[in-house]
Amino acid sequence: MVPERRRPPEASSKSSSSMMSESPRNLKPGLPFIPFDSTNLWCGDGHGRSFLEFSPPLVTQSNGLFGPDRETKSKNQHEPSPVMDWNPRLMLSNLSFLEQKIHQVQDIVRSIISREDQFLDQANELAAQQQLVTADLTYIIIQLISTAGTLLPDIKNALLSTNPAVGRPGSNQKQHEIVPVEVAKASQHDSLIKDLNSCGGKEDGLIKCSNNSGVEASEPIPIEDPDTKDNDDGMDGENLPPGSYEVLQLEEEEILAPHTHFCLICGKGFKRDANLRMHMRGHGDEYKSPAALAKPSKEASIEPQPIRRYSCPFVGCKRNKEHKKFQPLKTMLCVKNHYKRSHCDKSYTCSRCKTKKFSIIADLKTHEKHCGRDKWICSCGTTFSRKDKLFGHVALFQGHAPAIPMDDAKVLVTSDKAQVSEASSGMPGNTTGYNFSGNTSLDAQTPDIKGVDDGHGCFSPMILDACNIWGLTEFPHSAYEVSESTFSFLATGSCNSIQRNGEN
Amino acid sequence: MERAQQQSSDSILATLSVDLLIQILDRVADPRDRKSWRQVCRGFLLAEALRRRSLRVLRREALQGLLRRYAACLERLDLSACPALDDHALAAALAAGAGLWRLRSVNLSRASGVGWRGLAALAKACPHLEAVDLSHCVGVGDREAAALAAAAGLRELWLDKCLGLTDVGLAKVAVGCPALEMLGIKWCLEISDIGIELLAKKCQNLRVLDISYLKITNRSLQFVSSLGKLEDLSMVGCSHIDDAGLQFLNNGSNSLQSVDVSRCENVTSSGLISVIEGHKYLQNLNIGDCFPELAPLFLSKLNDLRDSLTVLKLDGFQVFAPSLKIIGLNCRNLVEIGLSKCKWVTDEGVSELVAGCVNLMTIDLTCCHLLTNKALAAIGDKCKNLTCLQLESCKLITDKGLDCIGTCCLNLEEIDLTDCTMTNAAMKYLSRCSELKVLKLGLCDKISDEGLVHIASNGKKLRVLDLYRCFEVTDDGLAAIATGCKRIKNLNLCYCTRITDLGLKHLSCLEDLLDLELRGVHYITSLGITAIANGCQHLTELDLKHCHLVDDAGLFALGQYTKNLRQANLSYCQVSSMGLCNLLGSLKCLQDVKLVHLTRVPVEGFESALRASGGRLKKLKLLTGLRHLLSPGLIQMLQAWGCRIRWVDKPLNLVP
Repeated sequence: MVPERRRPPEASSKSSSSMMSESPRNLKPGLPFIPFDSTNLWCGDGHGRSFLEFSPPLVTQSNGLFGPDRETKSKNQHEPSPVMDWNPRLMLSNLSFLEQKIHQVQDIVRSIISREDQFLDQANELAAQQQLVTADLTYIIIQLISTAGTLLPDIKNALLSTNPAVGRPGSNQKQHEIVPVEVAKASQHDSLIKDLNSCGGKEDGLIKCSNNSGVEASEPIPIEDPDTKDNDDGMDGENLPPGSYEVLQLEEEEILAPHTHFCLICGKGFKRDANLRMHMRGHGDEYKSPAALAKPSKEASIEPQPIRRYSCPFVGCKRNKEHKKFQPLKTMLCVKNHYKRSHCDKSYTCSRCKTKKFSIIADLKTHEKHCGRDKWICSCGTTFSRKDKLFGHVALFQGHAPAIPMDDAKVLVTSDKAQVSEASSGMPGNTTGYNFSGNTSLDAQTPDIKGVDDGHGCFSPMILDACNIWGLTEFPHSAYEVSESTFSFLATGSCNSIQRNGEN
Repeated sequence: MERAQQQSSDSILATLSVDLLIQILDRVADPRDRKSWRQVCRGFLLAEALRRRSLRVLRREALQGLLRRYAACLERLDLSACPALDDHALAAALAAGAGLWRLRSVNLSRASGVGWRGLAALAKACPHLEAVDLSHCVGVGDREAAALAAAAGLRELWLDKCLGLTDVGLAKVAVGCPALEMLGIKWCLEISDIGIELLAKKCQNLRVLDISYLKITNRSLQFVSSLGKLEDLSMVGCSHIDDAGLQFLNNGSNSLQSVDVSRCENVTSSGLISVIEGHKYLQNLNIGDCFPELAPLFLSKLNDLRDSLTVLKLDGFQVFAPSLKIIGLNCRNLVEIGLSKCKWVTDEGVSELVAGCVNLMTIDLTCCHLLTNKALAAIGDKCKNLTCLQLESCKLITDKGLDCIGTCCLNLEEIDLTDCTMTNAAMKYLSRCSELKVLKLGLCDKISDEGLVHIASNGKKLRVLDLYRCFEVTDDGLAAIATGCKRIKNLNLCYCTRITDLGLKHLSCLEDLLDLELRGVHYITSLGITAIANGCQHLTELDLKHCHLVDDAGLFALGQYTKNLRQANLSYCQVSSMGLCNLLGSLKCLQDVKLVHLTRVPVEGFESALRASGGRLKKLKLLTGLRHLLSPGLIQMLQAWGCRIRWVDKPLNLVP
């Protein structure tokens, strides 16, 4: 068994991490502060110093809030019995803290309103105020989610107790596998997380899926390796009898979510657990221990895992479980690729032929490698990139024959010349392809992203993506740690649509 | 044929109508007599033109006129020997008889100057074209194949060693000529499985297919096996094909009659068994140099082919006596067996074999070192119909063995005794075989004039005589040959060092002589060469390497008389630029010339001589040192005309 790779480091706090990860997207509509220009965060500190005083205690408090949270989680882990173990008192104190916090923000905003006239000629101060508000609200969101997150394991436990046949609640592994994906069940429970519940349920599913793909470690890691393309979209080769496997269906948001690992402290998202672990080092020494940095080894599970397959949420699709000839998808990666290929806009257009469109950047890259090199031409005018395809076409149609371009006649006579011509004709394609990938890698490493970005505007989706990755992994260590992490947190949400396209 | 009678007067034409003339002409078989016929008068010429179906053109200058004359009736045209044939010449010649062509077969083998334009003109001018031979035209590629594909009626196409041909060209032919029945793509190294697949899908009428030396895999055989009419499949040296591929041929269509898998390293008995199982009427099986030992199962499977199998070639195997016995029992109708370079072939084995296969006509025992006179006695005893016996390097055989052969096998036409310890007595025994056409006595250094006298005594039909390194042979022996064997075409006298100009003078009465090899006969001078040139005017190949006394005078004579000379080796001769220029300039057929170590010829001499050759040369052998001394323009020009230059890496000693 290959060790699990993509599980969050805090194996016990999965539910809370899942809630965290949900925050950027789901709370976004409820936040009136999004319109604030996040660039303001960069410049202001002078005037809003008095307000900044709130921050340090807040941070410690929030840490304190996480404390008990974690305890419950670990308790949950160690205690096999599926009792309702969330603490209402703790919840209440959390909520009251949040209330207090909201009041503080209200005060700040009020003061902004009251001094509106003064601010008119003091833009800097206004910006500082806005920055403060943004930071505070971010904390509120995080804490709200984490508070709500404490509820989720209980929901699961409750379901477990009603459905004992499905799995053993004590096993952490099991616990996450068995969570049903149906939104409705999750939504019945707490009023506090009502706004979140559908998302919460889905998020659970997402985490589960990523776990699962981690378990099946033979699968390529979906996001990190854009060249790996799951061509067969699933399990066309295997014939599992219906019912012999578990079917999981994720919602569109989950499938298109760019990140699956989120920092519990700042909320930043990551594609890989390892990256998250690296990121966590910046949050304190306790994350620097070898144990925390080590890859979480998978608990030896003796009992065989139930086979899990995935269903596409698109009703009517053959990959949807309602379909008569339902063909399930094998892995989460398959789901992602299938959904993007079949049900999403093809927003990537080949820069060379201007006609071929793709919804997955890796597909575009693969195409661009061969685009313009359709040197296999049929007498009917159809072009092919591969000789066997042309010959298959010729075999199929009466009277069609491979065409020999007139100007290549000389070249084709001798084989060595032909090879030379092939090489030379291939050169432009190769070099462009090389440049393309070269640019992106360059962008990811060059500090001055903007300049490079401007220089190669045509690759904007990729570069934007690259700079996002770059920003997210590197900025937390900068001098503006607090504000920057806030920024990146928001950026994750606001850039979501772009990343959705930009990522695999 | 009484020439005088024909020439007597024109009144003959008054009494003999054209159809009667044609009737007479049909009874004139010899080409030289026909030539005389043509020269009688216009009426005779017309009759001949109406009767002629095939034409072999030797000179380019004559091409256009000949084709104009024969356009209406000609069916087979051989341009393989036509020098300096290029697209323009071919197109112009074909234009002469535009619209009239009934040509079915065109041979352009080694016509390296012909490209796609010429072939396109050919395909356009000859709507009835059925067979084209482009083998050894190394420049032919996809474009040429595409031009040829316009001839939709093509049934036979030979593209051996068309090095530029790829799958695309093959696909063109396959699509353009769906009626194709015979196809040879031997040595077209660029062709792959994909091309063969398409060929098999498009040309379902293929009967004969040669895919030797291609880099194809079993996949190709899978598609080849779908050809229901395939009779003859050659796949010599296809090292990527193994038993799994041959199993595809076990398709039960029973169409194959001939299979050649020789030199296919990965083929074993089991693959051949599946072929035999699938094709019960197999007549010809060549499995030489595949695998070392014959499996008993394979030998017993030969019983399935009991009635049909006539040719079996087992070159390079370890064949023990029991195996030959089984073959003798199972293959009663065998006409030809090849045991060349087989180990462990013994007298006992051969006796067992011929005891079963009494119909054997051709027996190849080359390099079967263990054989003695007993084997020949057995062969002579059983195989009364024997026509061809190859005994090269069977050193234990003596004259006595040939006594049996000469007594019993009176139909013997060909015998190879190269490197056997024969003496003149053996020639006496062989002289009983009046049908003998080919006699190879190379390295039999005990053969002397006496032996040649025996051969000449009953060698009227002898065509090929090989006396390579028969040191004892002198001018007297040649005199006997020249009087007794008038029909000799190929004569090899290499290193028969006692021969002088006198001997060559005797030989000059051999009018049929086409190929004369005099390498290392160092006593001969230009006088002898002049005599040969005078007498043997049909000479096409001449080897004078190391004939140090031959000088310009000899070349002048050759240039003047042997107008058909196509191939000449003048290396190490004492010729000067003058003679060389004259020879290359005046011989309109010369296409292959070897000019190594002509120490008396300066660079300018080579330059002007090669320019004088006027693009007729197809093969040229020169010293590497000249490569940078000759003008690049000349070399480019030669290559543009389709000449391949072989540079010999030896020290260059030129006169300043």
